[in-house]
Amino acid sequence: MGIEEKLPNGIMLASLEKLVNWGRRNSLWPATFGLACCAIEMMTTGGPRYDIARFGMEAFRASPRQADLMIVAGRVTNKMAPVLRQIYDQMPEPKWVLAMGVCASSGGMFNNYAVVQGVDHVVPVDIYLPGCPPRPEMLLDAILKLHAKIADEPINARRAQLLAESGHRTELIASSIKYAKK
Amino acid sequence: MTAVQEPKKLEVPEGHVTLVIDDVEVVAPKGELIIRTAERLGIVIPRFCDHPLLDPAGACRQCLVEVEMGGRPMPKPQASCTMTVADGMVVRTQRTSKVADKAQQGVMELLLINHPLDCPICDKGGECPLQNQALAHGRADSRFVDVKRTFPKPINVSTQVLLDRERCVLCQRCTRFSAQIAGDPFIELLERGADQQVGTEATSEITALNKTSEGKEFASYFSGNTIQICPVGALTSAQYRFRSRPFDLVSTPSVCEHCSSGCAERTDWRRGKVQRKLAGNDPEVNEEWICDKGRFAFRYATAADRITRPLVRDKATGELVESSWTEALRMAADGLATARDAKGAGVLTGGRLTVEDAYAYAKFARIALRTNDIDFRARAHSDEELSFLASSVVGTTPENGVTFTAIENAPAVLTVAFEPEEEAPIVFLRLRKAARKNNTAVFHIGQWTTTSVTKTSASLLACQPGGEAAAIEGLATHAPDVVEALRKNGAVIVFGERAAQVPGLFSALTKLSAETGAKLAWIPRRAGERGALEAGALPTLLPGGHPVTDAAARAEIERAWGVDEGTLPAEPGRDTSAILAAASNGKLSGLVVGGVDPNDLPDPALAREALETLSGNGFIVSLELRRSAVHDYAHVVLPIAPSVEKAGSYLNWEGRRREFGTTLEGTGALPDGRVLDTLAVEMDVDLFTQTPASAAGDFARLPSVNDSSANGSRPSMLEVPAAQVPSSLGGPSALLATWRQLLDNGSMQDDEPALAGTARPVVARVSESTARALGLNGTATVSTARGSITLPVVHADLPDGVVWLPADSGDSTVRATLGAGHGDIVTLARGEAS
Amino acid sequence: MGMFDPLKGFGVTFSTMFKKVVTEEYPEIGAPAAARYHGRHQLNRHPDGLEKCVGCELCAWACPADAIFVEGGDNTEDERYSPGERYGMDYQINYLRCIGCGLCIEACPTRSLTMTNEYEIADDNRQDLIYTKEDLLAPLLPGMEQPPHPMRLGESEQDYYVDGPELAKRPGVPDPVGEEVK
Repeated sequence: MGIEEKLPNGIMLASLEKLVNWGRRNSLWPATFGLACCAIEMMTTGGPRYDIARFGMEAFRASPRQADLMIVAGRVTNKMAPVLRQIYDQMPEPKWVLAMGVCASSGGMFNNYAVVQGVDHVVPVDIYLPGCPPRPEMLLDAILKLHAKIADEPINARRAQLLAESGHRTELIASSIKYAKK
Repeated sequence: MTAVQEPKKLEVPEGHVTLVIDDVEVVAPKGELIIRTAERLGIVIPRFCDHPLLDPAGACRQCLVEVEMGGRPMPKPQASCTMTVADGMVVRTQRTSKVADKAQQGVMELLLINHPLDCPICDKGGECPLQNQALAHGRADSRFVDVKRTFPKPINVSTQVLLDRERCVLCQRCTRFSAQIAGDPFIELLERGADQQVGTEATSEITALNKTSEGKEFASYFSGNTIQICPVGALTSAQYRFRSRPFDLVSTPSVCEHCSSGCAERTDWRRGKVQRKLAGNDPEVNEEWICDKGRFAFRYATAADRITRPLVRDKATGELVESSWTEALRMAADGLATARDAKGAGVLTGGRLTVEDAYAYAKFARIALRTNDIDFRARAHSDEELSFLASSVVGTTPENGVTFTAIENAPAVLTVAFEPEEEAPIVFLRLRKAARKNNTAVFHIGQWTTTSVTKTSASLLACQPGGEAAAIEGLATHAPDVVEALRKNGAVIVFGERAAQVPGLFSALTKLSAETGAKLAWIPRRAGERGALEAGALPTLLPGGHPVTDAAARAEIERAWGVDEGTLPAEPGRDTSAILAAASNGKLSGLVVGGVDPNDLPDPALAREALETLSGNGFIVSLELRRSAVHDYAHVVLPIAPSVEKAGSYLNWEGRRREFGTTLEGTGALPDGRVLDTLAVEMDVDLFTQTPASAAGDFARLPSVNDSSANGSRPSMLEVPAAQVPSSLGGPSALLATWRQLLDNGSMQDDEPALAGTARPVVARVSESTARALGLNGTATVSTARGSITLPVVHADLPDGVVWLPADSGDSTVRATLGAGHGDIVTLARGEAS
Repeated sequence: MGMFDPLKGFGVTFSTMFKKVVTEEYPEIGAPAAARYHGRHQLNRHPDGLEKCVGCELCAWACPADAIFVEGGDNTEDERYSPGERYGMDYQINYLRCIGCGLCIEACPTRSLTMTNEYEIADDNRQDLIYTKEDLLAPLLPGMEQPPHPMRLGESEQDYYVDGPELAKRPGVPDPVGEEVK
């Protein structure tokens, strides 16, 4: 991606990776992609009761250029699919996709000619969130699980290779357990 | 559309009556039941016990209607399923009569009193006449407040049939089927009044008086039909119980692949798996019945040892390994071409082929292997049989031959070397129907009073095994009444595959038929035999039935196939035994085998020797569904489709074409015809049998023995003198009588434990005096030089010095163990406790 | 528009500072849900550990999203998973289709299938969101025994289904429902 590709591997790079990932995960900026009922829950999540700002992401951007997380909330019709892809393409790297609700994840109960059977047919999905619609806690849980994934992302190709060789897979723990008050 | 019509006097033909049903005047034949007359008018009267093929019973009372005779109404509503029409009768059904409607509703309420409303867990739910009629005609709620009658459930009537008595509405369809159609002691009505229930001997609480069917052991080949005709879910099969719901299933019409009757069936499947088979309705063939083998034996196609990928023998290890179709076909084509150019290659097919597949084999042998060495008879066979098939059987159709209907209407039927119930159960049902309804005189030339004999009220003409031909020749002197009966117009002589084991029988039968005018019906045991005969899978016959020696027919076929003149070999080929003998002597270098079990062949040892020889210095291609005995010797194994995964047609014994479509689509399994077509292309020959439809089209273009104006092309019958059977064998020697039972070790019945449980016991049968003379108590050992079989002994009315064994049941594998067949001499001794 | 209106707006913001905070501390306080919330499913057991599912497929039939797959199997004397004749041999719920409507629960004739309050099930791949019988079966409580095993609480399935509530009150019999309420 940049200078990090040229840096030597070792303690410094590992620490840098942690720092970069810490920065990235704590300032995710979602691009709004509310398509149906799930969007209502997504908006609620942004409101005071659930206050998504606690996780550094209160600003839902209408402009994809300033966003790095796409929350696809609702069923994607075949007509919407190219639009979705275009928005995704306009987002700068690094970027992530969260499929919110069963319709975005797999087509859900709309197993018909009009609905895309999962947005992973159109864009790569990082986290699938079931539910119809998922309650705000579920969205927060999914975002926190995504945080865990981002925290484990390799910083360059060599780190990626090392991670792949070690067979590392981010453990996705239910948030209420992971962040439970001690 | 219809304008107001002038009331017109209906014309009443002879033997008909006029009556009025729901204000509609109708003419009906005398003796017709009111319920049927109403049905013809389109008025459906609800019913449970009524079945068109069973005698009327009036058991359920659901079909009550109001009847007026000669202007006077009958005092109470009458059951329309038991009352026949009469002149001047006025019938009011539930549509026009409040009385009839109320009566029907009352009966429905009464029936539902003891019926558990367990529809959500009942297998019949969704296709249940009681459910449908309760919704259509019943009351919305019940006035019954007491506790319903319950029974311990379910009880096993047999290993296959289970009975939930609380669901039963006592319509007696099952008991009437068992008594009337099948003639088996099965289930009976027990107890009286409110305690009345259907049950078996084992469930009867009161002894002696209520013992079912004279306390006989239950055994029926037709028990599955009772499940199908049960109007509630009282009878279920172990195989289908709780497996699926009617609305889950996709139904495809199909044809039974087990015997040569070619029964119409309905295959119900789900998630790519067959769940059950039901009898189809074909009045010309199976009416509404099928045997248990046809109904329950279908899981062989999904057995664990099913082959789905081509296998080729690895040169280094000698093991069969999976390969691609391209590689396997290339290897098979190369090997067969080499074998053909060396000493030639032969083709052996089994009895399971469809007409189209058999045609592909026949064409493959003729133009790819350039030989007439092909034979479908994977069983005992003779030149006499071949000659008989060529002269009298090939080309017969229901129009010019014997049919099921002809058997039903025949004044007399003679069965020889044929056990109807074991070999063609539907023929047996027709024979029984003929005997019951039409007073057909049935004569059976066999060894003992089998169930086929008793249930068709037949007269047994006992003879020694192998002595059937002599018995036919002696009919005129010893039983002139039989000959006299056969002289009547429409008489039929029926015989089966066992006839090939009796020298001179075909000649004797041909003579008897010529003398008396009785028609001959050859009923093979397996579904594919008649079709293979027609398709030319025989050493002496071309596809279409012309002899291979007929130059004009050969030329015509060469033109139709688009091959060079003189391609078709003119010399008759070798039959199954000769092919195997040639292979073991090194006179044949290749073999294509399509589903042959060496243990069915007259000499299994010879077959194994031939396969052994060829696997060493020849080439064997095996087309098989599952691992067979040929598997271990084959160089290339090509997987083929079972009948549910392919389309095609069988010819049943009447010569009737029984077409069926693909039931399970898209499994990727290929029919034999397609595999052979591709194999032939690799050998630079086109068969045009890519699909069953194209194969059928290609076959239809060939000259048939039926079309030719001159019947001169039919070969004449080979005359063989009747074999002389030693009249009395001394000491421990005995004559072996043997035939296969319907439910036995056949590979198409694998994986069906519940069905196998209804098979008949595996016992040896001897006459009482023979048993006494040889001191056989308990068990008997039947042996030859090859091996011995020890079975429990049961006494039967066999001639002295004769022992009967089931041919392939349990431990009694006669061909494999003894290497002997029907009519051979064996040693009979007291069985050693093993 | 009055002169002090802009200040009024700040007043609203300011006064809110003294109100109770409405924000739900989601991950820290656990995963709250109403008692009858439609969370993920559970396949229940009889008090002796035998499964309640009889493989009748009514849940699969009721499901509007076609998310449930059931295949029944035969219990034998040697291998018994449930009282009675049949048991659910294969049981799968695809949570990327399930809309949590609860029709399956209503359809279940043996109360085998119920829903729990668990909802944190977001995952990063589709495969893991198809829950199989192992994932869905209720955990074995003390006193329960892992099937297959013979019927311990009666002679026939009647004893289980008809006298079930009575059985549960017997001393020494584990009480799955009570356990959950605690």
